[in-house]
Amino acid sequence: MRVDRDGVERRGPAVDLRETDVDPAAAARAVREGTWVTCPDPGPVHERVSPVGPATTLSVRAALADAARTRGAAAPEDEALAGVRAELAALDPPAVDCAEARRRVAEAGDREAALAERVSELRGRLKALEETGNGTEADDARSEREEAVERLAEVRTERIAAEQALSQARERAREARDARSRRLRLEDRAKNLRRDARDRLAASVRDAFAAAVDAVPGRGEVDEDGRFAGDPVTAALAVVRVADLDAPVVLACDRFESPAAATAHLDAPVIRV
Amino acid sequence: MLLIVTYSRGARQTLRNVCSTHEGTVVRRFGRAALLAETEFGALLALRLREKHGGDVQVERTEPFNEFAAVPSAVRDAATAYENRDARSTSYAKFAAGTVHPDPADLRDSDL
Repeated sequence: MRVDRDGVERRGPAVDLRETDVDPAAAARAVREGTWVTCPDPGPVHERVSPVGPATTLSVRAALADAARTRGAAAPEDEALAGVRAELAALDPPAVDCAEARRRVAEAGDREAALAERVSELRGRLKALEETGNGTEADDARSEREEAVERLAEVRTERIAAEQALSQARERAREARDARSRRLRLEDRAKNLRRDARDRLAASVRDAFAAAVDAVPGRGEVDEDGRFAGDPVTAALAVVRVADLDAPVVLACDRFESPAAATAHLDAPVIRV
Repeated sequence: MLLIVTYSRGARQTLRNVCSTHEGTVVRRFGRAALLAETEFGALLALRLREKHGGDVQVERTEPFNEFAAVPSAVRDAATAYENRDARSTSYAKFAAGTVHPDPADLRDSDL
């Protein structure tokens, strides 16, 4: 590893930056982005544990599963998971949107109802006018009513067409939802496979982890099922010791005499900040 | 009632949250679906879900089912007779053949 910082170049598996004012997150970012730290690419274990310091929180099982993978472990679920992921990537459920069709049905329905009411109103008026023998006004009312009846027929046709369009849109939506249901099932399956793989991988390094927790400085215990009780920095250091890491881990904790001692103890390159 | 069906993990999670926050409006919960009371508040919740998750949320309006109003008596009688049949292994099609009970193909073609 090479660290270029404040005009000074530092090399080696253990770099001490305590005299600079680099903060832990910035150092971890530099490892990730390769800005002023030149090193192999960090992996998922770095994402989980680095920087190790007072702010460390850790999902131990997930970190251990990632650590197990750095040691070359694989899970029997991997193949099925890759298959499910490939299926998911290939799925592209069509859009479901019937809103416009629904709006048209509703609007046509409203117009039709209003016109029907108007027609019956006009019918009543016409009848009244005919009874009172008011010829001119009755003629006007008659033609008004005829117009409304004609318009009602048009709107009714519109409404029926809108209903048919909606029913077709619903049919298409049903097919699109079949694809979405399938996607949901696949996503659930992927999640279960991922969890099973994680548990299995974590279990595969349970003993190594328990030994590492004993070996690194700090409090912590691992029970038979691999559950960790203790402080998160201890767990993080133990995970680093279990994992086979090429890229440096950023340490922001006072657990080792020197960065070199940390590197020797954790069997991983470190940047001490 | 309003039937809400979700089609993605995100939409399903939001529905769960909505159901636990607004228990009074939730008539029934299923895995990724729920029945909401047919109130304007139920509609608000349904529309919020659809606004947030688009096509991953289906909203339908249900109607109470009254078999005495909506279903011909021949169909009701057939259901009763079939569930009280002697031979458990007889399919409905076989059971109905040559009797007064309606043919399943005819039933499929008849909307309620």
